[in-house]
Amino acid sequence: MWEMIISELTQAVHELARGFAHILPRIIVLVIMAFAGWMVAYFLKVFLRSILRLIKFDKLSENAGASQLLTKAALPSATEVLSRFVFWVAWLGFILLGVRVLGILGLEEQIAKFFLFLPRLFVALFTIFFGMLGATFLSRAALLAAVNANLPSPRLLSVSIRTIIIIFVLSMAFEEVGVAEETMLVAFGIAFGATMFGLAIAFGTGGKDLAREFLEKRLVRGTSKDEGKEDDLSPL
Amino acid sequence: MTEVKLAGESFLTDDFLRQLIDVGEVDILVGVATHNNAKTIGSIVETIQAGILTYFPRERAVIVNADGGSRDGTPDLVVSAAIGDARSPSKLYALRTLHSISAQYASSPARGTALRTILAAAELLRARACAVISPESTQITTDWLPAVLRPIYSEEFDLVLPTYRRHRFEGILLSNLLYPMTRALYGLRIREPYALDFAFAGRLGSRFLAQNAWHDETARAGSETQFTLAAIAGGYRICQSFLGNKEHVERRSADLVPAMRQTAGALFASLEPNFSLWNSRTGSQPIPTAGAEPEFTLEPLRVNRKRLREMFSIGVAELESVFQSILCPSTLAELQRIAQLEESRFRYSAELWVKTVYEFAAAYHKSVISRDHIIQALVPLFRGRVFTFLVENRNGSAKDVEDNVETLCLEFERLKPYLLEIWNGRE
Amino acid sequence: MAFKQDVPWYKDAIIYQAHVRTFSDSNGDGIGDFGGLAQKLDYVEQLGINTIWLMPFFPSPLRDDGYDIADHYSVHSSYGTLEDFRTFLGSAHERQIRVIIEMVLNHTSDQHPWFQLSRSSQENPRRDWYVWSDTDTRYPDAGINFLDTELSNWAWDPVSKSYYWHRFFSHQPDLNYDNPAVREEMWNVMKFWLEVGVDGFRLDAVPFLVEREGTNCENLPETHAILKELRRKLDEQFPGKMLLAEANQWPADLRPYFADGDEFHMAFHFPLMPRMFLGVKLEDRKPITEILQQTPAIPPSCQWCLFLRNHDELTLEMVTDIERDYMNDKYAHDKTMRLNRGIRRRLAPLLDNDRRRIELMNGMLMSLPGTPIIYYGDEIGMGDNINLGDRNGVRTPMQWNGGWNGGFSVTDPEKLYAPLIQDPVYGYPAVNVFSQRRTEHSLLNWTGRLIAVRKTTSVFGSGSIEFLYPANHRILAYVRQLGDETILVVNNLSNAAQAVELDLRRYKGNILIEMFGKNIFPRVGEIPYLLTLGPYHFYWFRLRRI
Repeated sequence: MWEMIISELTQAVHELARGFAHILPRIIVLVIMAFAGWMVAYFLKVFLRSILRLIKFDKLSENAGASQLLTKAALPSATEVLSRFVFWVAWLGFILLGVRVLGILGLEEQIAKFFLFLPRLFVALFTIFFGMLGATFLSRAALLAAVNANLPSPRLLSVSIRTIIIIFVLSMAFEEVGVAEETMLVAFGIAFGATMFGLAIAFGTGGKDLAREFLEKRLVRGTSKDEGKEDDLSPL
Repeated sequence: MTEVKLAGESFLTDDFLRQLIDVGEVDILVGVATHNNAKTIGSIVETIQAGILTYFPRERAVIVNADGGSRDGTPDLVVSAAIGDARSPSKLYALRTLHSISAQYASSPARGTALRTILAAAELLRARACAVISPESTQITTDWLPAVLRPIYSEEFDLVLPTYRRHRFEGILLSNLLYPMTRALYGLRIREPYALDFAFAGRLGSRFLAQNAWHDETARAGSETQFTLAAIAGGYRICQSFLGNKEHVERRSADLVPAMRQTAGALFASLEPNFSLWNSRTGSQPIPTAGAEPEFTLEPLRVNRKRLREMFSIGVAELESVFQSILCPSTLAELQRIAQLEESRFRYSAELWVKTVYEFAAAYHKSVISRDHIIQALVPLFRGRVFTFLVENRNGSAKDVEDNVETLCLEFERLKPYLLEIWNGRE
Repeated sequence: MAFKQDVPWYKDAIIYQAHVRTFSDSNGDGIGDFGGLAQKLDYVEQLGINTIWLMPFFPSPLRDDGYDIADHYSVHSSYGTLEDFRTFLGSAHERQIRVIIEMVLNHTSDQHPWFQLSRSSQENPRRDWYVWSDTDTRYPDAGINFLDTELSNWAWDPVSKSYYWHRFFSHQPDLNYDNPAVREEMWNVMKFWLEVGVDGFRLDAVPFLVEREGTNCENLPETHAILKELRRKLDEQFPGKMLLAEANQWPADLRPYFADGDEFHMAFHFPLMPRMFLGVKLEDRKPITEILQQTPAIPPSCQWCLFLRNHDELTLEMVTDIERDYMNDKYAHDKTMRLNRGIRRRLAPLLDNDRRRIELMNGMLMSLPGTPIIYYGDEIGMGDNINLGDRNGVRTPMQWNGGWNGGFSVTDPEKLYAPLIQDPVYGYPAVNVFSQRRTEHSLLNWTGRLIAVRKTTSVFGSGSIEFLYPANHRILAYVRQLGDETILVVNNLSNAAQAVELDLRRYKGNILIEMFGKNIFPRVGEIPYLLTLGPYHFYWFRLRRI
């Protein structure tokens, strides 16, 4: 019996050792990949930071209104945030590649899903960023046009436009990443009418000169009738 | 490597080019940009024709109409002024052929493109002297052409700008912004830097045409102002000529935004490329003026001052977030303070106005927000300045008005160092 | 020598205006004569000329270069005898060259026996042959023609102690055409020369024949009646002979001189001539097309006479004040070049000796509707000498060669009736027939070729004209047609190359054949016909449908 126990023990130790010997090189590979990934990610971060500073990305972000949000959240500048984000995504990617080498069942599938998810995540972020940029621009354009055309409640109009565009943009982003798709679709459907209105305003006030002029002419004529006498002055 | 323009990229239509070939080299070109001006263009073209036949009978001349898609037959009225082989439609004798041609440059009006069309015609026809006349200048007389063209012909000036006898409350954008700021920065006392009736030498037109400002929408919108500024920047000889009364044209408040683009927008856009020119100039010099001095008339005019004041206050309130990006905190605070004042105590002082304009110019230079938005944001503030100008000058004589304008000009000149300070410096 | 009487021969005529005095001297006295003129007929014939117009050669004190006639029935002794004239005439006719002579109807020299008798006393039978008055106030509305020398149309005669009427120089008293005897005698004069054998007359100063109070004394109905009577007699007794009117009038006022084809056969188109010069200087066809639009239609048997220059000043009577000022500034900036209301310069100096412009002007002369006249010497580009006074600067000796007196005369140069042109540009060593004959592309040879091409068709002389009005005003283009023959003429009046699109749809399907080189040009289609022309270039195209 003791021989059986020792034999089994020995066999188990051998199997353990075999398993260890099987996994150790993979762990070493994992460590190497993690280290290499850190180098690559760091290089990417530095490179991206330089590019973003060159194109004055912080300025763009400020125009988009993103900088204000980051400041409120006590986060660093947009350039820094994006650089670090790319750093972590890149390093995480390398680590996951290393983990894949370990050959752990079930994990491979999840890692593949993660890499498939990444492009969609980037598209969503891209959509949000530029959507916010557009929302800021168009809402400001509407505000200015409304003030100069002497429309009532110009700020309300401007905020409405901004809100509707942001909702629209967020809907697109969530749909892109596949989060609560059904919910977002329904919510968007409800807000669709308001979005169309917002787009019409955005086109008229933020788009071509003709649309802007046409709108102002129509609304001002209506307004001036209400107010009685208007200026006779020619500014030029 | 210079960019090679392909034939397909030209903005001149084949038909217009053919007409230019038929005209050939000219000494004088008179350009008129139109859009549905059938009510006024007939008499204007007739007067231009008479001016040419009376004062320049020996010169080879052409009238060039750049039309922005008129639907009321405006181009036909211009073309009918041509004098050729048949009996002259004019009572005056014509020694030689007078061409009158028309080109539709677009299906909707665009002033910059219209001017570009006229400039292109002037260059291709090697015109020695060119005049541009507004289709709304119904007060034009036959003396206008020699008034604007003779300085170019006889005295080798390059640009002749008009001066008028204006109502004191007309052209406030010119008298309170464009004129004083151009004077302060560029050192020349040009009363009408934005002119719709002016003349230029062919060499200046060619220079302006070659500048690649035609793809920039801002530049296209304010091309008249840009033209004047290009002449200043290029060291061209500029003078003024008195053209009599300025016709009062009914405008609506909505026209103020495009007007601001055409004047302030163009002026602000010129500051960056010409920085080395204006940053070192101090004071200002008068420029030669032919004919009488410009003057103000004092007829009573209906003005809705209350609305101006209200729109100013609303603007200050509603656009606070925009102004925070543009103005210094102290200036914004002062504007907010005066916006609260009663109408009887409201005063948008010259110093505050100058600071406002200079801060807007600096913000424009730094593109703190969209540049077009910066220009639009200036409009409600300008209304406040108009209100103060109306109040200050409502009982004054013509000389008083002139003195007030002069005071404002001196304020612009005095505060020029402030602009330089904020140009690249503190936010 | 009998000519083929193809009436009307004057429609195909190429007329050469010459003065016997200036052409060639055969007897060495320094003055041209009929002997010399006869010797040069070969030259005239080779040039392609078929009609010579001779300036006055009658006995005269020569105070107006022979237009002050002192004897209507003879030849000035300096030019030869009547027999010499007959010999010359015969030689010309042998070469199929017609000869028309000057006939001054309006006035005579004050040395004429008629005037001498008329002035001698109030009772003299010839008294009424001239227009006399006790005062100088009659006919105040009549203009003065020779503004530079005359202050009035009346001159005081110390012999008869009264005033006599003269529309030209004061030594040229006007004949009184209200007197039938005058009319009868003048017909006798014409009849005399017709019987000698001349082929026609250039009747000088015809608008002024009759005076009436309250008028400008020009173009009066009575004048036309007299002229019609002359024409009637001419047709009756001398068919096939031609009358050419010298009437410096607007086209509408010229029209009556043709009447219904029963007054003059031809008349000078005075208003067109300065406008050709104007058009070339302005580089604009407007002056030319305008005057031709105002030119009324004339009877089919009648013909306009076209010319570029002649023995008189380039008259600027029939232009507006603006045009006159422009012409004076551009063509006669030196005021000594101006005389009366005109410019006393020859063709080549007027055109700055620019060969291209000279060719263009001659091309228009030969292709516009009318009979062309070439002034002697212009075919070689002779210059002028304004220092000779009056209009004598354009009447200098013909330049035949670069030798002694330019080949004009063997006499001493000092004895010449007028000095030769001698400057390095226009002087006879540089500009003469002999050297131009030897140069294939000289102006002389070119002119000969031009005339030859013109003579290949009757379209230019007898055809209709329709102007094309291309948008390019620097191009003067017109179509000449006669029967089924069509010729397209395109002239570039500008100093720069030009492109022009012509609407030739009416002639669709025709091939254009350039008449000088005879090369074919593209066929006419639906689209505008594009032509390009060099500076001052012109085309003559025959349209041919094959």
